[in-house]
Amino acid sequence: MSIDKKTLEQLSCKAREYNAYESDQVMTWCGGCGNYSIQNALKRALVLEKIAPKDVLSCFDVGCSGNGSDKIETYTIHGLHGRVLPLAVGAKIANENLHVIASAGDGAALSEGVNHLIHAVRSDYPILFLHHDNQNYALTTGQASATTPQNCKMNGTPQGVKIDVINPLDLVFSVKPSFVAQTTSADIDHMTEMIREGLNHKGFAFIQILQSCPTYNKIMTDEWLLKNTERVEDLPDYDVHNLTEARAFLEESKKIPLGVLYKNPRKENFIQTLSHREKYKTTLIEEVKSVDVSPHLSSLKG
Amino acid sequence: MERTRIKIVGQSGSGLLTAGELISKGLQKLGFHLCADREYPSLIKGGHSCYTINFSQTPVKSLSRDADILVAIDKHSLMAYFDTLKKDGVFIHGYEKMTNIPDILKKVEERNIETVNLPSRQIAFDNGGTVQMANIILTGMTWKVLGFEFAIIEKLVHEKFAKKEALLNVALKCLRAAYDGAETKQTIALPAKKEETIFLDGNHAIALGAIHGGMRFYVTYPMSPSSSILTHVANMSDDTGVVVKQAEDEITAVQMSLGAMFAGTRSMTATSGGGYDLMTESVSLAGIIENPLVIVLAQRPGPGTGLPTWTAQSDLNLAIHSSHGEFPRVVIACSDPEDCFDNVQHAFNFAEAYQVPVILLTEKVVCESKITSTPFAQNKIEIERGLASNLDSLKQEDRFRITDSGLSTRWLPGSCDTTFFANGDEHDERGVLDESEKAGDMYEKRMRKLDLIKANLPKPKVYGPEKDADISFVGWGSSKTVMEDIIAQYEEKDVSVNFLHFEVVWPLEEEVLSTFFVQNKNVHLLEGNYGGQFGMKVEALGHTFAGKLLKWNGRPFFIEDIQDYIHQHLKK
Repeated sequence: MSIDKKTLEQLSCKAREYNAYESDQVMTWCGGCGNYSIQNALKRALVLEKIAPKDVLSCFDVGCSGNGSDKIETYTIHGLHGRVLPLAVGAKIANENLHVIASAGDGAALSEGVNHLIHAVRSDYPILFLHHDNQNYALTTGQASATTPQNCKMNGTPQGVKIDVINPLDLVFSVKPSFVAQTTSADIDHMTEMIREGLNHKGFAFIQILQSCPTYNKIMTDEWLLKNTERVEDLPDYDVHNLTEARAFLEESKKIPLGVLYKNPRKENFIQTLSHREKYKTTLIEEVKSVDVSPHLSSLKG
Repeated sequence: MERTRIKIVGQSGSGLLTAGELISKGLQKLGFHLCADREYPSLIKGGHSCYTINFSQTPVKSLSRDADILVAIDKHSLMAYFDTLKKDGVFIHGYEKMTNIPDILKKVEERNIETVNLPSRQIAFDNGGTVQMANIILTGMTWKVLGFEFAIIEKLVHEKFAKKEALLNVALKCLRAAYDGAETKQTIALPAKKEETIFLDGNHAIALGAIHGGMRFYVTYPMSPSSSILTHVANMSDDTGVVVKQAEDEITAVQMSLGAMFAGTRSMTATSGGGYDLMTESVSLAGIIENPLVIVLAQRPGPGTGLPTWTAQSDLNLAIHSSHGEFPRVVIACSDPEDCFDNVQHAFNFAEAYQVPVILLTEKVVCESKITSTPFAQNKIEIERGLASNLDSLKQEDRFRITDSGLSTRWLPGSCDTTFFANGDEHDERGVLDESEKAGDMYEKRMRKLDLIKANLPKPKVYGPEKDADISFVGWGSSKTVMEDIIAQYEEKDVSVNFLHFEVVWPLEEEVLSTFFVQNKNVHLLEGNYGGQFGMKVEALGHTFAGKLLKWNGRPFFIEDIQDYIHQHLKK
């Protein structure tokens, strides 16, 4: 599912649209950091999906991913560590017309705010979540995260990490997601396509990005990622709509699978489950006006 | 201005709430003013509960420590509450073996208490019911003791059991038998003028006020005593279309609310002290990104889990000082249902107009005491969004522009081509990270809003005479209700009592406060906490209290607490 030639040509004609997303801020990531390509892919995907910057709300957690918050020209909010999901969800519930994109690292998503991830998947809030998984806390100088492989020696764990990892995909699969994709910062074209798929999904789109961190993760390099991954779209029998198979495949595959691993386009997202609002055609931001509560007051009379 | 004080006691789950509500509604129908509250443990079944009703022909807003009429549903609760029954009072119960409680019999004699007793269990069985009908039987007895017309209470019982046909007949028969079996012991004149009132508690009023004021998204995590706001908002959601979300925790609740306010709707969350502790980091975020936020902080005694179902005023410092860093905020304290209805609307307006977090402080006694109120005036408080109208000419740096007032232009994501960056890191006018020495300018710009807010907030109000009172009090929140009743009582006794009450407790208004201390020489602090938290802020301005009436045992200020205190301090 890489970008084909035609799409690339399409993209090259859209330099003006792409540039609208570019900020004038100096990049502050390390050389070779996966964040460069992630942001590039995100901007490409937005342009290819013909979404204007004014209709995007980018929500950033704290960490190296969060330091991308002033590198993209959309409406942007840079919040607290671990809390980007509920912040983004609140904004989306208020204004469904916004394309709400949340970005957070493995520290935020799997430790500080793991509860939010579980409930965001379960509730199927209609936002796109880019999980930047570089297997460590890079901005605080390389401590272990919940995805740091066992026995890796990290800042603060000189004996090596002894406890087992949390597999983010396993965790997300266990709470019945409606969209799960895995991609890598080593492959910008693939990321672009995954983000486009995620932008078009109507529920909670979880995109796991295996992100290289040249400073603190010497194992998961771009080369390693390209060598150790395979694409599910290249597999003849892979059924993207079968959650049980997706889980089994994740368990059994020898290489790390990339691509849309599972999607259920029929699942009702959180906003669609609000049956009492079926008759409302407006968003909550358009409804802020005085509501007559006199019938309720009358019921309290003697 | 005589009030009648009833206490209905029983174990939680014994049906005393039903009895209390039936009697309260009956009194409201008769045109009385009343205040009712429930004391109960943090349990679903068992423990002692008490439903207190104070009623009068004239407005009554406060609760009593003592009772003129004690209605006991079971023996254990009767033992626990008997000493609140005053001399010459009436003791209503359905217990059949009084010889088992000789202590009580002795006290009945000593205090000249009249006993009204019917065998409730027998009446229930005779009419095809079970022991669970005791509350209906005691309701019938109480209504007769008060000397009120049967048809009124009969109709209410009818409504109560309308959906339980099998029980309805039994209940009505039990009610009748109890009413007929008891004697009238009180001669209470009916109100001459029947004023129309609504009868509700503070949480219900907050729910109504928030919806009236344009709240479209309510997100919370249940915590006593804030939880019933969720119930009320949710129960009205079919009619109003408000989105209601019970979040996975308080941090989620406050973050969702913050995000929704950022996007541009009106959203609110509510919690109690422990939940608010979890929210504080988010309050700080709202401070730096200058985002409106409204949090109801319903106080109960801490620390820790404390007393979950009891009342306190001990989170004032928490509301004012919580969260890291410095930033302007508004703290408003509610005292009765009517100002809950108004203040939640003000809270939204302040939050949006000044782009700050607003904490609406309530107390368990405010949340759950039901008070007859004049039907709330709607459309009294205009919705003020504080949003930009010049969407075509905005620049990115307008969003956090350093202005003299500290206030910058706010517009909503998606509303115009000029995007902006709300950065939780210190930032320049465009929102871009700024770690230079100039970062202090942005900090100062935000703090300047405090003066703007101070200049525009409603002033504290003096109840009673402006000056030269024999005794004066300063307080905030729920103490207003008890002081309103006290001032009216002492007017009749020719003792002048006045009270300076703060609704907006932060930022602290200083001028009215100073004038009050200049014009009154015997000023006392009235506050429901151990340290006198508000008092310390007043003292920091150089004022001195003649004395302090503080309370921290989970009970509200009862009318008798103030009477006793005045009695002691006027003698001196």
